[in-house]
This record gives sequence, C-alpha cells and structure tokens, in this order.
Amino acid sequence: MSGAQQPAGAALEWRDVTIGYRRGDGGELVAVDGVSLSVPRGGTVGLAGESGCGKSTMAMSVLRLLPRSARITGSILVGGEDVATMSWGRLRAVRWTEAAIVFQGAMHSLNPVRTVRRQIREALELHSSPATRTPAQRDARVAELLALVDLPAARAEAYPHELSGGQKQRVMIAMALACDPEVIIADEPTTALDVVVQAQVLDVLSGLVRDRGLTLVMISHDLSVLAAVCERIVVMRHGRIVEEGPSEQILGSPRHEHTRELAAAFPVIGDPGSRRVVGRAAVTRLRARESGAPEEDGGPAAGVPAAPDGAAATHAEDTATPLLEVRDLVVDFRSRGQHVRAVDHVSLRCRAGEIVALVGQSGSGKTTLARTVLGLQRPTSGQVLHRGVPLPTARAALKAYRRAVQFVLQDPSASLNPKHTVYEAVAEGLRIHRLPGDERERVAAALTQAELTPPEQFFARIPQELSGGQRQRVVIAGALALEPSFLVADEPVASLDASVRGEILALLLRLQRELGLGALVITHDLGLAWNIADRVVVMHQGRLVEDGPVEQVLLDPQHDYTRTLLDVVPSRLGARL
Amino acid sequence: MSVTETAAALEEERPRGSTLPRYLALKGGGALVSLAMVVVLGFFSFRVLPGDPAINMTRGRRVSAEEVERLRAEMGLDDPLPLQFLSYLGDLFRGDLGVSYVYRREVTELIAERLAPTLLLTGTAALISVVLGLWLGQKSAWRRGSLFDKTQTGLALVFWSVPTFWLGLILLLVFAGGLGWFPTGGMVTPGTDPTGLARVLDVAHHLVLPVLTMVAVVYAQYLMVMRASVLEEMTSDYLTTARAKGLREDLVRTRHAVPNALLPTVTLIFLTIGGLVGGAVTVETVFSWPGLGYLTFQGLSAPDLPLLQGTFVVFSSIVIVMNFVAELVYRVLDPRLKAS
Repeated sequence: MSGAQQPAGAALEWRDVTIGYRRGDGGELVAVDGVSLSVPRGGTVGLAGESGCGKSTMAMSVLRLLPRSARITGSILVGGEDVATMSWGRLRAVRWTEAAIVFQGAMHSLNPVRTVRRQIREALELHSSPATRTPAQRDARVAELLALVDLPAARAEAYPHELSGGQKQRVMIAMALACDPEVIIADEPTTALDVVVQAQVLDVLSGLVRDRGLTLVMISHDLSVLAAVCERIVVMRHGRIVEEGPSEQILGSPRHEHTRELAAAFPVIGDPGSRRVVGRAAVTRLRARESGAPEEDGGPAAGVPAAPDGAAATHAEDTATPLLEVRDLVVDFRSRGQHVRAVDHVSLRCRAGEIVALVGQSGSGKTTLARTVLGLQRPTSGQVLHRGVPLPTARAALKAYRRAVQFVLQDPSASLNPKHTVYEAVAEGLRIHRLPGDERERVAAALTQAELTPPEQFFARIPQELSGGQRQRVVIAGALALEPSFLVADEPVASLDASVRGEILALLLRLQRELGLGALVITHDLGLAWNIADRVVVMHQGRLVEDGPVEQVLLDPQHDYTRTLLDVVPSRLGARL
Repeated sequence: MSVTETAAALEEERPRGSTLPRYLALKGGGALVSLAMVVVLGFFSFRVLPGDPAINMTRGRRVSAEEVERLRAEMGLDDPLPLQFLSYLGDLFRGDLGVSYVYRREVTELIAERLAPTLLLTGTAALISVVLGLWLGQKSAWRRGSLFDKTQTGLALVFWSVPTFWLGLILLLVFAGGLGWFPTGGMVTPGTDPTGLARVLDVAHHLVLPVLTMVAVVYAQYLMVMRASVLEEMTSDYLTTARAKGLREDLVRTRHAVPNALLPTVTLIFLTIGGLVGGAVTVETVFSWPGLGYLTFQGLSAPDLPLLQGTFVVFSSIVIVMNFVAELVYRVLDPRLKAS
C-alpha cells in the first residue's frame, strides 16, 4: 500500500500545481498558482495565509475532494503515486488509509444525526484490515482511538451536538487516525475553538505526531498556532507561496511583507515594541527588526504612531465619576427550571476615553455582561450607571443612553443588512435619533472618521461589494455617526483576516486619541488586549477575577485563571509543547 | 496540568433536556387545545352558512309553515346559539355527533362506515406519492441540472398545477369511458358482493384512477421539498468528511445526505397527509368514492349541520393527530431534539 519505492521519502508532494475554479461567467478563478511543495515522511509543515489564499484548496486536492468545477494541472503525489491518475476504486482505497483529513470539527464536519461510534466505525468498515474484521474488534478499535485523544469510551454513544467544540475536534482527530494513515492534513483544526480548548487540541495533535511519527500538514491563518506544532511554515498569498522556512524564523523575523502582516497580528505579550502598536506600524516594526535596525524606530514612523500610555491616562484619570459603572451586577438565566448565573456580582468602572479589554473564555459571561451594559438584557440585581445615573428601564428613556453608548458586533457580514446600502446603514441611526443637521454631511463625516474615503464612493455600495475590513468599518461608522462617548465592541476583529485585524485595531486607537472615545472590548485574545487596551478585566465563570492596567495584569498575573489564559496564548505554546 | 483541568471544567456535560413523558405531555396538551378550538370553530362557522336547513330539507314537498316550524324546533334550531352549543358539547362528550338531517341517521354511524374507504384511498395515495416524491427528489438534487432533474421537476410541476377535478375527469374520460380499462366510479362493482381475494381485487381495480389522480397532483411537493433540502445538505462539510473517508458516492448520499435532508421534509409530509384527507373531497366526488369527502360534499348542499360538524371535527382531528405524530417521528429522526 505505501509507496516504499519512493527514494527521498516525500510523503506528500505538489509538483507545479495550478488549480482554477470555473466561474459562472465562463472565466476562471485561479486558487492555487504553480505551487511546488514537498513534505518529507514524518515532517510537519504549516500552511499559513488569509482567507482565499488557496491553502484549503491545496488540502482538498490531496484526496481529490475539490468540486467538479475545479481544474487541476501539475501533479499531486501521495506516497509517490499521482492522485490524478488513480481510478475511482484506487482513490477510495487511498482516501483515509494513506492520507486523512482533520476537518474543522467544531463546525459541521460530523454528521449530526449519527453517533460518534457509527461515524468512526464507518471508516473501519470501509477499509477493513485483519485487526478490524469483526464488529467486536471494531468497537474495541473505536474505544482505543477515543482513548488516544483523551476521550472516555462512553462518548462513542454521543451525538455530535452532545459534545463541546473541543470534544468534536478530538473526535475528528480520532476518526482521522482510524485507518493508521501516513499523512494527516489538519484544516484549521482549532479555528472557532476557545483558547484553552485550542491549547488542549494542539497538545493532542502534536503528541500524536511525535509518538507515531506521522506526517502532518496543518493549515491555519494563525502563525503562532502553526509555530506551536510545525517545524516549517509555508506562507501563501493569492495562490502562491511567498515565504517558506523554519517556524521560529517565520514568526520571529519574517522576510516577506505579507508574512510580517500575518505575524504582526499575533503580538508577543510583554514585548514593549508591540504595545499599542498595530496595523502598518507593527509591520514596519517587524521589517525594521529583520533588517537589524533598532526597534524603537519602527513604531512611530508609520501611519499610526504609538500613543504614549500617559496620553490615555490623562484624560482617564481627571474624570471623577466614571463614564460607565457596573455595580454588583447579577444576571441569571432560567432554562427548564435550572438557574444559570451568567454574571455573578460584577462591579466594573470604565472612565471616559479608556479602552478596557474584557477577557475570558467562551461561556465566561462576558457577552452577557456586555449586553446588560447596553441595556439589551435586564439584570437580575445590581445596577448599570452612566455618568453616575442608573440606567432607566423604560424603552424611551434608554434611547438617549443607547446613542451615547454604541455597539460593534463580531461579524460585520451578519450585523449589516445585506439589502441596505452603506449610506442607509449609517443613516439609520441618525434617523432613529433624529439628529439635527444635514444627513448626508453627517454620514460622510462618520465614514471619513472610519477611514472609508472618499465617503461618497461608498454611499451606494451594499455590504456584498465590500471586503470584511470595509464592512467592519461601516459598522463602526454607523456607531460614530451618533457621536457616542463610548463603544462596546464584542470580538470586533475575531472574524477578520490577520492583516485587516491590525487596521481595525489601529482605527480604534486613533478614535481614542482623536475623539477621546473609550471602549469596552470583549475578546478572548490576550494579544489584542496587549495591543490596544489601557486596562484588562479578566472574567471567569461569571466573576471578575482580575482587574488592572494591562502591564500589571499580563506581566504579573495574580489569579490562577489569568495565568492559565496566558499559558495557552499560542505564541507561548511552542515553548511549552 | 492546569490547562487540561480548566478545559475539563469547561467541557462538563451540559444538562440534558426534556424527558420523553414531559415532551409527550407538552405536545399532547397542545394537540388537545387545538382540538378544542376546532370544536368551537366548527360549531359556529357552520351556523354562519347561508340557507335554512329546515326549508332546504323540505324543498320540493308541499309543507305548511307550521310543519317547517315544528321541524326547526325538533332540530333544536330555535334555541339560542349558546344553548345549542352547550347541548352540542354535551353530546360530543358522550360520543354523539347528532342525527344527520338528510340521512336521518346517527352521524357517528355515517362517519364510521365512510372512514375506512377514505383512509384506504388517501393512505394509498399518500404512501405512493411520498415514496415517489422523496425518491425522485433526492435523485434530482444529486444530479442537479441534468436531463433527469429537468424532466422530473418539470413534469411534477405540470401535474401540480393541474386542477384535481379536471385531471380526474380526463382520466375518467380516457381510461374508464374511452378505453374501458377501469370502472367509472364507486368502490365495488354494483350488484355484486364479492368476498375474499375477489373483493380485494375488485376494490383495487376501483382504486386505481382516484389514487392516480391524487398522487399526480400531490407528489410534486414532496419532490420539490426533498430536492431543496438535499441541495441544502449537498454543500455540508460532513459530506466532504464522508467522501474523504472513501465512501462511494451513492453511500454518501443514502447514508449521510438523505437522513439529514429528511428532517425538514418530515414535518411537511405529515402536515400534507392530514390535508390530503380533507383534499379527498374533490377526488371522491369525481369518482363517487363512498368516503368522508363525498359525504361532506353531500352534507354541504343541505346544509346538513350535524353531518358537516361531524366531518369537520374528524378531518381536523386527523390533521392534529398527524402533526402530533410528526413531532414524535421528528424526535426519533433528529437526536438533537432530545436535548433541546
């Protein structure tokens, strides 16, 4: 079965591969453009790049899983055998036994109406080996596989919806290992997972690679995740490989501009050079470091000069009453007779012009806290105060408050009405709040503040015609149009590509500097907090466990939970694994 | 290690949702409420119908005004509406649906003897159209854009848009009148009373045309819904997983795509099966099939209030029961419902 005749032992090889998709209008979209890449037996390679760079197409091409509209030239060799020339029967035999794919399990890669056991056993039945002839042997093998990924054998009876995201991902890994494949391709295996769970999945994956000598190709947009598991990283852009090298070099001193953009999105916490330096400035800094110039030159040189901490602190401290205050807030949810306490006696103060990062895992109650602060969720007890005045409960009275405190959601594609033009989206708030003055002027001003210039060009566009970053800018412009004094942003960059992430964070910093606009930014990403926040608040199981200036909390954490979170930041994982 | 501990705490099993008895009680209660509303609605809406039953019943006969008055009093039509409703309710609880004005027989008795033919007709038609529709639907979706897909969806839509009575009449004209292959109406050949196998064959022979008419008109909706929901599933990631595992394409379809695509379809199937029984009115009338639909049609011309109320309650109960069954089947098909 295995290509033993292969001399150099490349387990997987792409030779001058070009893959294009036929489009409806007869044209062709080139996803992969003349890529050659060889993965040696037992090697671990990370494929990095932003959405649309062709990295997933590369993965799918290995098992010929691309849609019919795909046209492939060049050759793809698995164990020395060309995939394109295989018969369907041979291809089906190769699938899963020589190369298996770990899909993004947290999403929908498992069949929702079948148990874990049936789904894993299916692979064993298809590729029956002497060790898995009888049903009893297969069940034993399922238990063995689940044990490999630290899941109890009883979980085999579970349906996918009964598993958490991390467990589903581990089931996917167990399933991929079912037929002892030579090559494992992991396509964004930890995207959409919580940081702590991500660390655990990466633990399992790298442990297996180490113990079983697997060949691993891992795909991610996150360089630090790849660096934690892979020896080499290959960076792709527009279907081409732009940089290739050992992980430490790619992460530490990237040569290509695009790699720098990606690397800048994952700052090293504690590195003063990346503190309040994001976007172009961060890229410039990395370039400077690579060329050996002193680091300090990088930051302020580019478009977004780093605001010295003192500047933010000055308008923060001279205000006596905090702009926003949460006093002993409790939010309970009742579901089928059970009480769930989402927010547990939380007190929090946000001063004007201050960026506060609210950090925690999914399920820690941070989104509920934000919704309550916005008046979208009624507290069970406790108070939210705006400029010292408790939040009114009446709908009409809340209106003025909502104008002052605006909301920016995670996914701009979902939070913008697809049928509304940019102009409509921004003007809607103006109309609801009946702001005086010329509507066109106000919309144009808001778009300009959100760096969508010239604004007139964007008026008639609909969200579909905009990039992800531009969409998030429209959402921010919609908030800015109401001249708020504070923003609440729920994971504002989590759904954006790495290079866009920097731009949006730079925008938030600029708004703070120029308009004195404070923000409560909810995130699971401590790197983001290090990037832009003045203060960090750590939330765990509904409680605030730590609250203080960024440097203090992130460099000298007092609570165990904060330490755990810092421990699983991907940029530190490499050292730990 | 602290990471693993934290992760373990995070992954604690979520509490399981409602138990089966609770679920049954909830859904069963809902069904009972709907049924109660049907009874109220059925009673009052038929009172709004134009026409005086007493006059219609005596039409063509020489009757005095006093006789009509006496008839009205006999039928309880003189009592105030709320009082009539109360006595109707009381009778209903005793299983008494009243006496038909036209047939002069117990409504329960009439319905009982007509129920079986209706269930036979609609049951057969439903079974055939569901199987045919689902099978063609998933096949069309899998070969989307192919000749098979285009002809099947086209044909189904043509049949769907045809009026039931018209199609019935055409079939009757061609296959019963012209070719003489099938009988023109009824359930058994008049004047004969076959038993055993001979009876089964005779009924089956009479069943062909009405079933054909019903199937032709309704299978399209199963086809279209199944096609749409398979198409929706076709881009699902778990199908890619199945293919990557090395499954043959037809196994990918039957083992993975179809079970998931069935979920939205099931609700529709049971909803329409309930509706089919009511829709049988036209087909039964065209083919003089001695079922509930034909009975309703006859009741409408009087208007025979007790009979109409009776069939109305029966038709509605069938729809409600079917919905209840759908909820149960759905729970079996979709494991996710057990938890949420």
